[in-house]
Amino acid sequence: MKLQVKLALYNTLTKLAIILFTGLLILLSIEKISYNHIELRLEDDERETLKNLGSKDINSHLTRLEKYTDYNILQEEFITITPIKFQPTATNGNKFTTETRNIEHNEQTYRILTHQFNFNNHSYQLEIGVAITSIEELKSIIKRFTLLTLIIALALTLASDLIFTKFLLAPFYQIIDRKLIKVNDPLNFDYEKIKTSTQDFELLDDSISSLMKKISALFSLEKQFIANVSHELLTPISIISSRLENILLQEELSEAGENKMHASLKTLNRLKSIINSLLLISKVENNQYDKADVVMIAGVIMEIQEELEDRMDEKRLSFTNNMKYIYSIMGNRPLMHTLLFNLVNNAIKYNVPKGSIIIADELKDDVYILEITDTGTGMDQKQIENAFNRFEKFETDERESYGLGLAIVKSITAFHDIKVKIDSVKGKGTSVYLVFNRE
Amino acid sequence: MNVLIVEDEKGLALEVDEFLSHEGFTVEHARTKRSASEKIFVNNYDFILLDLGLPDGDGFDLLKMLKGMGEREDAVIILTARGAVDDRVSGLEQGADDYLAKPFSLNELLARMHAITRRKHRLESNDINVKGLKINIQNRTVTYNDERIALTKKEFEIFNYLVLNKNRVISRTNLTEHVWGDVLEINSDSNFVDVHVKNLRKKLSAYIPIDWFETVRSIGYRINI
Repeated sequence: MKLQVKLALYNTLTKLAIILFTGLLILLSIEKISYNHIELRLEDDERETLKNLGSKDINSHLTRLEKYTDYNILQEEFITITPIKFQPTATNGNKFTTETRNIEHNEQTYRILTHQFNFNNHSYQLEIGVAITSIEELKSIIKRFTLLTLIIALALTLASDLIFTKFLLAPFYQIIDRKLIKVNDPLNFDYEKIKTSTQDFELLDDSISSLMKKISALFSLEKQFIANVSHELLTPISIISSRLENILLQEELSEAGENKMHASLKTLNRLKSIINSLLLISKVENNQYDKADVVMIAGVIMEIQEELEDRMDEKRLSFTNNMKYIYSIMGNRPLMHTLLFNLVNNAIKYNVPKGSIIIADELKDDVYILEITDTGTGMDQKQIENAFNRFEKFETDERESYGLGLAIVKSITAFHDIKVKIDSVKGKGTSVYLVFNRE
Repeated sequence: MNVLIVEDEKGLALEVDEFLSHEGFTVEHARTKRSASEKIFVNNYDFILLDLGLPDGDGFDLLKMLKGMGEREDAVIILTARGAVDDRVSGLEQGADDYLAKPFSLNELLARMHAITRRKHRLESNDINVKGLKINIQNRTVTYNDERIALTKKEFEIFNYLVLNKNRVISRTNLTEHVWGDVLEINSDSNFVDVHVKNLRKKLSAYIPIDWFETVRSIGYRINI
């Protein structure tokens, strides 16, 4: 979950809690206040009624020991005076209850004051009720109102929080995007500060920048090291190789000596190849090549086919080019040539006599796929996993292999942002897929 | 023809010197940028073999200086182990005639020098005669009694290279490198070049006997003229 959303959710939840709490508080206090108010009124009514016991209307009922009932038109209030069994000390305090009463087939909830008193040597029970339906209605209105406020407040705070946190976190996402995600090459790092008034983000920005400075220093150091190694190692090789060649020119050299010289030159050449391959890999990984050429894949494949034609003829391999698309990338042409050359060369090297090599391609919405399939010796799963490791070699009838071909392939593909996939069945053949990202 | 070797590695300079002297060149040697610029200032050379990494500066500066002098015909071949990617490109752009990465084969160096000589001086006779076969470097053709022998580009390269380095065993690796250039890992397949040589010999032997085109077992080939 994004930080922005988390912050907004947290704010919303705390606000929700506050509103719920206040809502409940209001609801409870309204009940309490209104009951209190009603009870005061009921006590007023009680005093009034007791004062009027002597009035003609009530008195006539009381003397006949009949129940006296009075209520207004809408049955919102009622008074009943009921004679009860005589109790000498009947006068007691007021009792309040909430009850539902049915008056003239009209059921309502009342707050009722009950009071027992003695009058003319008889005991009576006085009940005064006030309908509280209106209060219940008020309560439900308040409930609904609270709910509505709650929902509106929630929506508003959520929206405002989202907008605010988005604004607040914008520099943060900018830093992530510009300083971390889009950086492929530490040497071309964008040191321009992201505008923000938040100290924490400034700190983050500065830390990333200083980290990048360290990395790019290391990068240039490595570049320097590669240049030094190539010079320091290749120069002595060059001297020895020239020296051996000069010895070969001497006419008094025995045939055995000559053979040994040639063998030494060959070994030296091997050393040179290994150093050059490792240097190539390091240089590619160190971003020392540019990607300024428009490289047409089909064109490179045709070139390589021409270059390797004789080798294929020798093994009597059939070469089928089923490419349907003219697809070009921005890249480094010599590197792309080396990449495809290595792959086609492997397809020849590990093929069986009279086997075949098929080149095909496929254009999808987001990717372009180049497929090189051979009918060679194939690899098992473990071999595929190790195929791209440096100095990994497979059984081959070729006399020498340094096991750096696929390591070179790996570094060049990574440099060009190409994915490599290998499908292989031992004894049947291998398919190598190059997946180019279309952007 | 005179050659100036600008190279701070004495060992290498001596070997190149020995080889080229053997081939009939007059060789001079400069170890620093300073002494090289003095020599270039005083003498005209047919070839300047230029190392880029010199103790007191960059070989490119010498190239710039030479090009700034005008009226100079000195051919420049850059020899370097610096291996920087752009060096080859910028070297050629700045007017170098060729570029060889160290370690290089002396035979290859010689072949390059010959090629430059041909290009620069437009030799009157472009044809080289080998046992009745005429090699035309300009048109890259081989003819026998005015009949053209259909050789592929690579077969021609191999034949030409072997003729240029006549009477000398040329190893497969050397030949491969000459024909294929710096394609990496390629050198590992030493029989790479055999196919081409086999086809070349077949084509030539259709016209004349080729007992002079010798296969030196487990090493390479030699043309004895």
